[in-house]
Amino acid sequence: MGASTLLLTGNIDTIAQMSCNPAIGGQAKGQMVREIDALGGEMAINTDLTAIQFRLLNESKGPAVRSPRAQCDKKAYQFRLKHTLELQKNLQIFQATVTGLIYKNGRVVGCQTNLDIEFMGHTVVVTTGTFLRGLMHVGQNKNEGGRLGDFSAKTLSASLIEAGIELQRLKTGTPPRLLGRSINFTGLQEQKGDAKPTLFAFHDTRDPEDLFHVEQTGERRLGWSPGSEQVSCWMTYTTPASEKIVRDNLHKSAMYSGEIEGIGPRYCPSIEDKFVRFADKPRHLLFLEPEGRSTNEYYINGLSTSLPFDVQLDLVHSIPGLEQAVLLRPAYAVEYDFAPPTQLFPSLESRKAENLFLAGQINGTSGYEEAAAQGLIAGVNAVLKVRGEAPLIIQRHEGYIGVLIDDLVTKGTIEPYRMFTSRAEHRLLFNHGSAELRLIEHSKPHKLLSDSRISNISHKLSRVHYWQNYLENTRSGAGIWAEGIRRDKEIAILPSELNTETPEIREEVLYRVIYAGYLDRELRQVEKLKHVEKIRIPLEINYAAIPGMRRESALKLAQFRPQNLGQASRISGVNPADISILMIQIAAQRRAAEQS
Amino acid sequence: MSFPADTIAALATPVGTAALALIRASGPAASTLVQEIFARAPLPRQAQHADYRDLQGVLIDDVLFTFFANPNSFTGEDSLEISCHGNPFIAQKILADLLARGCRSAEAGEFSKRAFLNGRLDLSQAEAVMDLIHARSDQALAAANQQLRGSLGRHMAELSTLLIKTLAHVEAYIDFPEEDLPTENRQNIDKDIDTLIINTDRLLATSHYGALLRNGIKTVILGEPNAGKSSLLNCLVGRERALVSSEPGTTRDYLEELIIVGPYCLRLIDTAGLNPKPALLEKRGIEKSREQAAEADLFLWVIDATRPRPDLPSEFSQHLTAKNTLVVYNKCDLPVIDPSPLPQPFQCVNISALTITGLTTLQDALAKMASSFQVNVGSEVIAINTRHTQSLEQAKKCLLAAKIKLAENVHSELLSSDLMTALESFAQISGKIDHERILDELFATFCIGK
Repeated sequence: MGASTLLLTGNIDTIAQMSCNPAIGGQAKGQMVREIDALGGEMAINTDLTAIQFRLLNESKGPAVRSPRAQCDKKAYQFRLKHTLELQKNLQIFQATVTGLIYKNGRVVGCQTNLDIEFMGHTVVVTTGTFLRGLMHVGQNKNEGGRLGDFSAKTLSASLIEAGIELQRLKTGTPPRLLGRSINFTGLQEQKGDAKPTLFAFHDTRDPEDLFHVEQTGERRLGWSPGSEQVSCWMTYTTPASEKIVRDNLHKSAMYSGEIEGIGPRYCPSIEDKFVRFADKPRHLLFLEPEGRSTNEYYINGLSTSLPFDVQLDLVHSIPGLEQAVLLRPAYAVEYDFAPPTQLFPSLESRKAENLFLAGQINGTSGYEEAAAQGLIAGVNAVLKVRGEAPLIIQRHEGYIGVLIDDLVTKGTIEPYRMFTSRAEHRLLFNHGSAELRLIEHSKPHKLLSDSRISNISHKLSRVHYWQNYLENTRSGAGIWAEGIRRDKEIAILPSELNTETPEIREEVLYRVIYAGYLDRELRQVEKLKHVEKIRIPLEINYAAIPGMRRESALKLAQFRPQNLGQASRISGVNPADISILMIQIAAQRRAAEQS
Repeated sequence: MSFPADTIAALATPVGTAALALIRASGPAASTLVQEIFARAPLPRQAQHADYRDLQGVLIDDVLFTFFANPNSFTGEDSLEISCHGNPFIAQKILADLLARGCRSAEAGEFSKRAFLNGRLDLSQAEAVMDLIHARSDQALAAANQQLRGSLGRHMAELSTLLIKTLAHVEAYIDFPEEDLPTENRQNIDKDIDTLIINTDRLLATSHYGALLRNGIKTVILGEPNAGKSSLLNCLVGRERALVSSEPGTTRDYLEELIIVGPYCLRLIDTAGLNPKPALLEKRGIEKSREQAAEADLFLWVIDATRPRPDLPSEFSQHLTAKNTLVVYNKCDLPVIDPSPLPQPFQCVNISALTITGLTTLQDALAKMASSFQVNVGSEVIAINTRHTQSLEQAKKCLLAAKIKLAENVHSELLSSDLMTALESFAQISGKIDHERILDELFATFCIGK
């Protein structure tokens, strides 16, 4: 977008470091990474070039919920992204810890750092991860820091509170890391990558100059040919002995002894939680995942814990294949501050301090993909704010990014928020292959992609429309093409010219034709919702003074301050009658304003 | 201000109180409706006389319709007004047909709301509109709200909870493909969907009772001329009722009155006398009576107790059963003759419409018969309205579609799409259902997480 930008980080070497397992994508997240790619984000390309294993999940559940997932080389991912940033025009990187924000008349104007250097800017985007007053627990042992070996941002919290931003605590955890050569893989089940990898980035609409821009500078490449030389993961299970160790030592776990006040994610429970809450389950599945090509470190996916180190050691040794395993890093739980995201506008700008944008874990989310999506939207909106333009807001029916941000700002969250496909009302519209076609309405006006890519996407979209139209209206033998395709699905015979189109176009056309009935139904529901999304609620509205509004609804509305009627209608506890009353009130105010 | 692209329809006049009923439709489809239903051009502000035929081509009534082009209509949108005969079943049939043609049942106050938002009502009326919407929901929806808070609400909550549980079992395998979940049990899902369909049907079965509660139980008074049918009507109504309609331009050949017996509302219909040898002029009246009889819920067969009983024409007697017919021997203040045996074991009461004796016995007997229309769901009395019926039918359609998908083993995402749409339909009755509840159920049921 051409805006002059400064990136401040506590440690340049840990830019894009993956604190948890180095995996990108998976259910709903995979689709989100493709949306990020469709809006000019770097995550997809970076994953494609540094992944060591690719798998497409949900092959059998249907095309809309098929999600790409990749296991990355942790260091290659991190270094390549750092290199990309270094080469990015208009971006300056500087290493310093932000200690506080500088306010002037209720607006953010810059930040202070530990080096006593102040940086001023029109807008500030804050992305603290788990570093905001980060506190790590290994049993009773506590260390300050956002990640093992890293620092804690201690004073920034106070600066946010000063602006009137409320903070709360969340908790997350990560499992132990093992030395690969101490693992006995014999007898463990192997999980290989897909022979034909599903990539994240849209390579079909990228011209060479859009591809691998780090790789084209002539400097030494950090990635490799996507999908080459994939490595395997391995599966093992806990044993009855593991369960006994955990149960006997529950009182020493930081989470079960009351040491931790933050709320952890339900979808990523500690091994303590799994044994306690699902006592009837005899064993729990664990994945052993390599962290990269040039390291022997393995991640035990599924064994997150806050038990003391000696217990962790016994626990690991009770697992088949890990009897002799050497721990390189212990598992730990980390607690951190977050700012409940209902304090944000849908642009991700704070309602409390103008020009301040928040993104990532500070908004209560978990996951690299959720963070990347918000970082991208916050960044774009920070630029649009400087230019005095309307913010970029992805609607709920346009993509997972829209669902993510709408959920955050209208409903908030009490646990680290992760995206699931079931959070989306219209997920059949969100098949991963359509991301750049769906989002061109946004990428084009804001120039988030190169001109050549925009024109390639427009061309792709017009081909898809052409074929949709052709198949629905052209006869083939006894019937219409589309009807035959819907009947025969995969085995349907296609017009030969369609077979000369790119696989991406063909796949999207077939998806739209086969699912036409369902997509129509979803689109009709979307249309019904659209008009209420368009009705904006004036900022100065006084809910308590609206005649006829139920008190409970007025309180909820005053608390969440929705920006439009669509958001208002999604707040639980606000009933449809109150939405009608609100609608009339808005119209009345507007007419009053027009007449005066 | 832009509007939803849907067309709403509703009865604009209270049911049954007038000789004519007005049905109003508003929205972009109004002009298409005119062309489709009446095969006429939508000429603005011209009342046209036409036959109303439903989607199947069946004649419902001859009506007057007027098309209003936007913005010159009550709502400011394209609108269609249809006046039909005041028979609530005709009005309901026309409304049902409009819904079948894609209109949506209007919510309380929605016409006024659209009118206001389109600037058809001026600002000084804003508060009045708001009051109106409230008055409507407070009065007209009082019963519905009570139901929502009480019995219907509980049933809807049970339905939603079961559907959410079912969805959680489908979603777990979609959202957590990498987890070590127990093998997917599709039989249980099928069983749950069956339960959902059965329970939806039980609520749908109350739809007719709901209509009876609102429109009255259609009670047709039959009998030979001079048996005292009109006197009986007057007696039950408690006042003199003109014998012919004073409404100009209507062609009604029968009288209608609403009466209350016990907790029930009855719509009494006094038909033309069933003269076995009708004069030509009477024929049309008898024809109308026959139409009424075909749609009746209850019959009052009035017999002159002082004279030998003539048999009813077979086209009437075929509708009569012991459950839906009450035989009324009238003129019991006069010397009566021994009654001849009735063709069926009908319940009988003796009255004198002239001296008003036996009225209480008659009312008790009527109330008892009316109570047989009550539909219970479990131990509770529920009566859903047209809007509820529409939503429940939509939900049922989706559940049936889901069942087929399950049997045919199609992609889970499509199965889920049907179930989600069913959930949306339930939500139209019980209010927004947060998808978070599916995840709550899922995390409570399955051990998820790596």
